[in-house]
Amino acid sequence: MLIKTENLWKIYEVGAEKVHAVQGISLEVEKGEYLAIMGPSGSGKSTLMNLIGCLDTPTRGKYFLNGQLVSQLTDDELARIRSKEIGFVFQTFNLLPRATALHNVELPLIYNGTPSAERIRRAKDALKMVDLEDRMTHRPNELSGGQRQRVALARALSNNPSIILADEPTGNLDTATGSEIMQLFGRLHSQGNTLIVITHEAEVARYADRIIHIRDGKIEKEERLTKQG
Amino acid sequence: MQFLESILLALSSLRANKLRSILTLIGVIIGVMTVIAVVSIIAGMNRYVVDKISALGSTTFVIDRIGVVTSEEEFFEALKRKKLTMEDMEAVRENCAFCYQVGGRVVTVRKVKYKNQYLSDVYIAGATANWPELISGIDLESGRSPTDFDEDHRRQVALIGWEIADKLFFGLDPLDKEIRIGGRRFKIVGMAEKRGTFLGQSQDNFVIIPITTFHKIYGTRRSVDIFVKAQDLESMREAQDQARMILRLRRKVPQDKPDDFSIMTAETFMDLYRNFTSTAFLVMIGVSSIALVVGGIVIMNIMLVSVTERTREIGVRKAVGARRRHILWQFLVEAVTLSLVGGIIGILIGVLIAKLVSVTTPLPSAVEWWSVVAGLLIASSVGIFFGIYPAMKAARLNPIEALRYE
Ligand SMILES: Nc1ncnc2c1ncn2[C@@H]1O[C@H](COP(=O)(O)OP(=O)(O)OP(=O)(O)O)[C@@H](O)[C@H]1O
Ligand SMILES: [Mg+2]
Repeated sequence: MLIKTENLWKIYEVGAEKVHAVQGISLEVEKGEYLAIMGPSGSGKSTLMNLIGCLDTPTRGKYFLNGQLVSQLTDDELARIRSKEIGFVFQTFNLLPRATALHNVELPLIYNGTPSAERIRRAKDALKMVDLEDRMTHRPNELSGGQRQRVALARALSNNPSIILADEPTGNLDTATGSEIMQLFGRLHSQGNTLIVITHEAEVARYADRIIHIRDGKIEKEERLTKQG
Repeated sequence: MQFLESILLALSSLRANKLRSILTLIGVIIGVMTVIAVVSIIAGMNRYVVDKISALGSTTFVIDRIGVVTSEEEFFEALKRKKLTMEDMEAVRENCAFCYQVGGRVVTVRKVKYKNQYLSDVYIAGATANWPELISGIDLESGRSPTDFDEDHRRQVALIGWEIADKLFFGLDPLDKEIRIGGRRFKIVGMAEKRGTFLGQSQDNFVIIPITTFHKIYGTRRSVDIFVKAQDLESMREAQDQARMILRLRRKVPQDKPDDFSIMTAETFMDLYRNFTSTAFLVMIGVSSIALVVGGIVIMNIMLVSVTERTREIGVRKAVGARRRHILWQFLVEAVTLSLVGGIIGILIGVLIAKLVSVTTPLPSAVEWWSVVAGLLIASSVGIFFGIYPAMKAARLNPIEALRYE
C-alpha cells in the first residue's frame, strides 16, 4: 500500500476557537491509482492534501507513506520526503516568477541533490513529457495559463515522485485548457504514476479510478468508476 | 548552483534599482572605504617616517631651545628661553664623559647663485666638522665635507646637496667651482648623494659650511642645536642626564624649574608620530564602525523586505523539498553578496582616495594587501551578522502559510 492513513485529525486553533478541518479520515491508496477527492468549499480537501503531501503533520492519527510512519516527523525530515516522494500541482501554479521554465522544473532536483548534468537532462525530459520542450527558456509571464500549469506539472514529475498531488489544477483555467491538462493527467496515469486530484468539478473527477467525497472533514462516500475508454 | 543562483539574484536586484542599491550599500561603502584609505595613508607614512626619523640614529640625541611643542602656549613659553650657544656646546663636549661625539649646527635660509643661475630658499647649515658622525642619511657622492682645518680657519668652503648641483650645474662637475651665498664666494669641496623628498619636501637643497664661517658671516644670534652621540645604546640615558646637568648648571636653572632647553631622540619623534597615527586609527575605527553598523542595519532591513516579498517563493521552494538550511543559505548568500559589493566599491574608493591624497598632498600612501583582505572580511562579516536574522526568519517559515501568503 502506497498511502495508508489511520483516523487522521487536523484541528486548527484560531484564538480560543477550534476548527476541526479533518476529522478522523482513514484512507488507502495503491500504487498506480488515480484518485479524485471532491467536496464543497471548506470541507477540508486542501488540509487533507497537505497532510498526504507531507507539508503538514496531523493533530492526531497515523500516516504511513510507502510503509514508513511519517505523521510525527520534523520540518526537515518532511522536506526530505517531499523532495523524493511528492510532486505538487497547485491551483495558482506557484512557479518562481523570475526563473525560466527549465529552472522551475529543476528546482526539486536541486534540493534532492541531483548532479547538475542529470538534473538538466531530467528537467528537459519532464518538459518534453508535457509538450513544452520549445518553451524551456521562457519565464512564467511569457507563458499562457495552461502552459504555466504544464510547467508546474513537469516540475511535479521531474523528481520521479511516488505520488503527484494536484489541488484544483484546473481551477484557474478555462474549460478547454482545463481538459487539456486533465488529458495530460490521464496520460501520466497510464504511464504508471499515482495521482491524487482535488476538485469540485465532476467533469474533472471523472478521469479518476475512484472518487472520495468529503464533507465537514469526514469521508461522506466513495465511488469507483469504470473507464469507458 | 544554489549558490550561484543566490549571488546572481542579489546582483540582479542590485542592478534593477541602482539608486536604492547605492543607498543600501552606502554604509558599508563608507565603512570599508575609511579603513582602506586610513590604513593606506598611514602605511605609506610608516615606511617613510621610520626610515627618515631613524636617520637620527638610535644613539644620537639633539638638544635645542624649542623642542617639540604641541600647543601655542608651549611655543611662546619656549621662545622666552635663552638661546643655546657655542659655549654651551663646548661645555657638553668638555664635561660629558658619556658623550662620544658632540657637535653643533645652525641653520638659515638663503639664496644661492652660480654665475647667472640662482636658487632661493636653500638651507644653509653651519655645522661642526664632526657632523657626518652625528647625522646619518647624508652620503657623499664626490669630494669631502668641511674639515677641522676649514673650521679653525673659517674657510669659505661648502658641501652642496644634490639639488643644488643639479639645478645650478646641470650635471657638470661642481667640485672646485665657486657659488655665491649672499654675495660671498664659497668653494665647493663636496657634493652629497640624492636623498629624495620627505613629506613632499626636497631634502637635497642644502649647503653645509663650517659653523665658524657661518658665525663670522651671519653673527651668533641664532641658537645652536647641539648634537650628541652616545658611546652605545646602554649609555644613552647617562649621556642625556649628564648633558642635561651640565646645561642646567651653566644656564643656572633653579632646582625646582624645568629644563630651559629640550632633548630629543629618534624615540621622541617616533612617539609623536605614534601618537598621531593612533589618533588617526581611533578616528578610523569610530567612523567605520558607525558606518558599518548603519550599513548592516540597512542591509538587514532590505533583506527582511526581501523575505516578506518572497514569502510565496519560499513556500514553493519548501514544498518542492528545500530544507531549512537551503533557504538559510540562499538568503545569507544574498546578504553577503550585497555587503561584499559594498565592500568592493568601498575598497576601490578607498584606494582612489589614498592615491588622490598622495598625488595632491605631501602625504605618501601605500595600499596594503592585508587592508584589502580586511575590507572584504569586514564587509562579509557585516553581511553574515546582519543577514542571519532575516535568513533564519525565512528558513523557519511554515510552508503552508508561506504558500497561502498574498
Ligand atoms: N491555517 C488555518 N488556520 C485555521 N483554519 C484553517 C486553516 N487552514 C484551513 N482552515 C480551515 O479548515 C477548514 C478546511 O479548509 P480547507 O482549505 O482544507 O478547505 P477546502 O476543502 O480546501 O476548501 P476550498 O474548496 O475552498 O479550497 C476551513 O474551515 C478553513 O477555514
Ligand atoms: Mg482548497
